Parts: sequence; C-alpha cells; structure tokens
Amino acid sequence: MALLFYSTIKLTFKKPFRTKLLLKQIEFIGANSMSVIILTGSFTGMVFAFQSYIGFHKFGADQLVGTVVALAMARELGPVLSAIMVAARAGSAITAEIGTMKVTEQVDALNAMAVDPVHYLFVPRILAGLIVMPMLNAVTVLCGVIGGYLVSIKVLGINKTLYLDYMYTYIDFEDFANGMIKSVVFGGIVTLVGCYKGYMTRGGAEGVGRATTESVVMACVMILIFDYILTAFMF
Amino acid sequence: MEYAIECFDLHKSFGTHKIHKGIDLKIVKGAITYIIGPSGTGKSVLLKQLCGLMPPTKGKVFVNGQDITVMKPEELVNMRKTFGILFQNAALFDSMNVYENVAFPLIEHTKLPKSRIDAIVTEKLRLVGLSNIEDKMPSELSGGMRKRVGLARAIALEPEIMLYDEPTTGLDPIMCDVVDNLINDTQKQLGITSIVISHDIESTLKIADYIAMLYDGKVVLYGTAEDFKTTDNPYVKQFFSASKEGPIKIM
Repeated sequence: MALLFYSTIKLTFKKPFRTKLLLKQIEFIGANSMSVIILTGSFTGMVFAFQSYIGFHKFGADQLVGTVVALAMARELGPVLSAIMVAARAGSAITAEIGTMKVTEQVDALNAMAVDPVHYLFVPRILAGLIVMPMLNAVTVLCGVIGGYLVSIKVLGINKTLYLDYMYTYIDFEDFANGMIKSVVFGGIVTLVGCYKGYMTRGGAEGVGRATTESVVMACVMILIFDYILTAFMF
Repeated sequence: MEYAIECFDLHKSFGTHKIHKGIDLKIVKGAITYIIGPSGTGKSVLLKQLCGLMPPTKGKVFVNGQDITVMKPEELVNMRKTFGILFQNAALFDSMNVYENVAFPLIEHTKLPKSRIDAIVTEKLRLVGLSNIEDKMPSELSGGMRKRVGLARAIALEPEIMLYDEPTTGLDPIMCDVVDNLINDTQKQLGITSIVISHDIESTLKIADYIAMLYDGKVVLYGTAEDFKTTDNPYVKQFFSASKEGPIKIM
C-alpha cells in the first residue's frame, strides 16, 4: 500500500491533469457528504454539552461547558468523526466502484488501452480526499460548537455571556489548525484505503462485498491509530 | 514468414499452481490465429502475457521483435498501444455511455478535434453494425451489442494486433456468426494480426489461418485448419469430437 501511495504521489504531477474527474470526486466525496456531516457534527456537539455539564455542574463551573465542547470538537471529535463518516459513505463507495471495475475486467481494459489505472482512478480520488476532508472537518466543528451552544443556553440555561467569554479566551487558532492537519491525513487515509482495497478485489460480487467491508474497517482503524500518533506528535 | 508475436519457453504459475509449462508460439503477422483448448488451460492468461498485461514467471515474449519482458512500466504502457483487446465480457466502462466508451482511447491518446472523434466513433460503430446507440449506457445493451461496442472501442485506435478473448461465448448461434464475420472482416479490412481465444470448434475451423491447441500448460499442436482436420493427435481428436474418452482429463 505504501508503494501504491508513492506511485500515486509521483503520478499526481504527471500530465494530463484530469480536472473534470477531480471535480466529480470533490462533488461526490465532499458535497454529497454534507448532510451526514452536518447531522454528525450538531448531534455530537449537543450530546457533548449535556455530558460535560453533568461533570462541571458538580463544582459550579457550568460556563466552561462551551470551552470543553469547542476544544474537543476542534482537536479530536471533528476530524475523527467526519473522517469515519466519510469512510463509511465515500470510502466504501470508492472500493465498491473500483472493485467492480476490477472483477469485470474494466481495470484490465484501462491497462490494455495504455491508460494507467492508478493515474486515472486513484489520483483524482485521493486528491479530492485531501482537499475536501479539512473542509468537511470545518463544517463538523462549526456545527458541533453551534449544537453545544444551543443546548447549553436554551436547554441547560447556562449564562450566555460567560459561556462565550470563556470559549473565546481559552480556544486558540492552534486548536483548530491541529484538527485541520489531522483531517488532511485522514482524508488521504480514507481514499487511499478505498482505492487500494478496490484494486486488490478478487472473486466476483462476493469479493466486492468483502473488499468494501474490509475497506471501511481498515480505514476506521487506521484513522484511530493515526489520530493517536498525530496527537502525540502535536501535543 | 514475418511474426507479430513470438514467445519462447513461457512459464506461468500462481502460487504452486503451474498454468504454463513452457509454451513456444509464433503468431504470423497479418493472419488470424486461434488458440483453443479446454477450460482452465490458461488461454486468457496466455493472452494477457502476450500483450504485457501480466508478466510471465519465466520465458520471453517478443512483440514486433522487442522483448516485452524486460520493458520498464512506461515502455510497456506505450507498447500496449499496438494492441486492441476485446475482453470476454467486453469490459465496457459502465459509468460511461457507448459514445464515451468508444471515444475513450481517442481522447486519451490523440489530440484530434471533437468533430474528428465524432466521425471516427460513428465510423467504428458502423463497422460493427451498430448505429444510433451512442447515448445508451452499457447496462441497456444486450450481450451481443456489448461485445460489438467493445470491438468498436478496441479498433478505435487502429491497432496492429487484435486480441479476442472468447468473442462468441454466451452468444446465440446467429450472433456467433455475426461476430465471426466481424473478426474476419476487421482482419480483411484493416489487415491486422488477430489472435482469438475460443472453444467454438466450428468457427475456429471456418476462419482460422492458424490454430494452436493448449493442454496441460503446453501447445499440443500448432498448424493450419487443414492440419487440424487431418491430424491423429489424440488430444485434438478428443477435443474436436467432444468426447469424454481420451487423454484429456476432465476437471
């Protein structure tokens, strides 16, 4: 897989640039994931507000709920959850599509027509993943913070001014940038694993099903492992 | 005689399973060569090795005198433009319509203007007896039509060598005849070298200039259709008479 990643990077700068395919993938991975991402972000933020309130209320630090929600969303939950959702939605679809092309000899046909499948199939998808994932992360974080705010102020009745004041004071741009870096890496992981598993598919319809499952599981596990590695590095 | 492809002592194994145990074969330029043999003897695998889609485990393959087994990946990609391949199930790109499928190699490898590409696509589709289906998706086509679109796509760049992987399998008898004629006509009109994988004995004897029969990883007989009709090679006789009795083991 590392080899495949290497050749993808090498081929990224090779002509022709397939702008049309890239835009199509950006639409597919990015724009079409929007509703899922918005739901995931808002509900996570809302739940998180409730849960952290239970803890903070015990020693009267209610107003800190916003800080904790925003911090957790920006550094951790935003990038990880959005990447897992994209793995489930787009990563699986990438594997299924390339896998079907593999078992029906369409990948061979590309090769036979002197078109490198890595260049034609992988590069647009992986580039789209790298570009789109941080954007989706930003949306997730924003929705999470808004969701947390609404629950804290409207439902739990925390003081609005204090809530926002603490959030502004304790959250830096660095927290957000931290999550953005993670999500670029995760975007690469999801699309690379999706392409790789698809390309390695063998054995008809059953093989495509198996590859798709493996792709989602492998992408999710790798996201969590890389999350730890990146957190440890950027701590 | 001039040869388009020559292969020497070709071995291929997958894990411990030996598919080819030393194949020597020369494909005559400008003729139709049929490769026949029972299922599972690695006919498709041989085809993929001849055009560089799959590297042999051991042995040499020469295409137009050049050794393709020592080529770098980029050279191999360029070399493949020599070939047009019709896959067993046509392998049309199912995300594209018929027009985009046939135009694909032209868009990828030439800088022709759109009007020229349109003309070539229409011309190639006419050559395979299809018209007004440019906007259809592959899933809307019958098996026979799909094969013909696959053929139109394969000859779009006017290759020197055409490879057909079981072109008539799964088609009705009338469609078989249509496809046989197509192979014959493409060869006559474009003067290209054709290699056909088949286990359809009737069409083999009808249109093949040369025939090679594979069994147990080796070529058991190579010759003209006449040679095959008169041979007393037990493998060929059993295969042609479709009988269970004989040296070919039933798997």
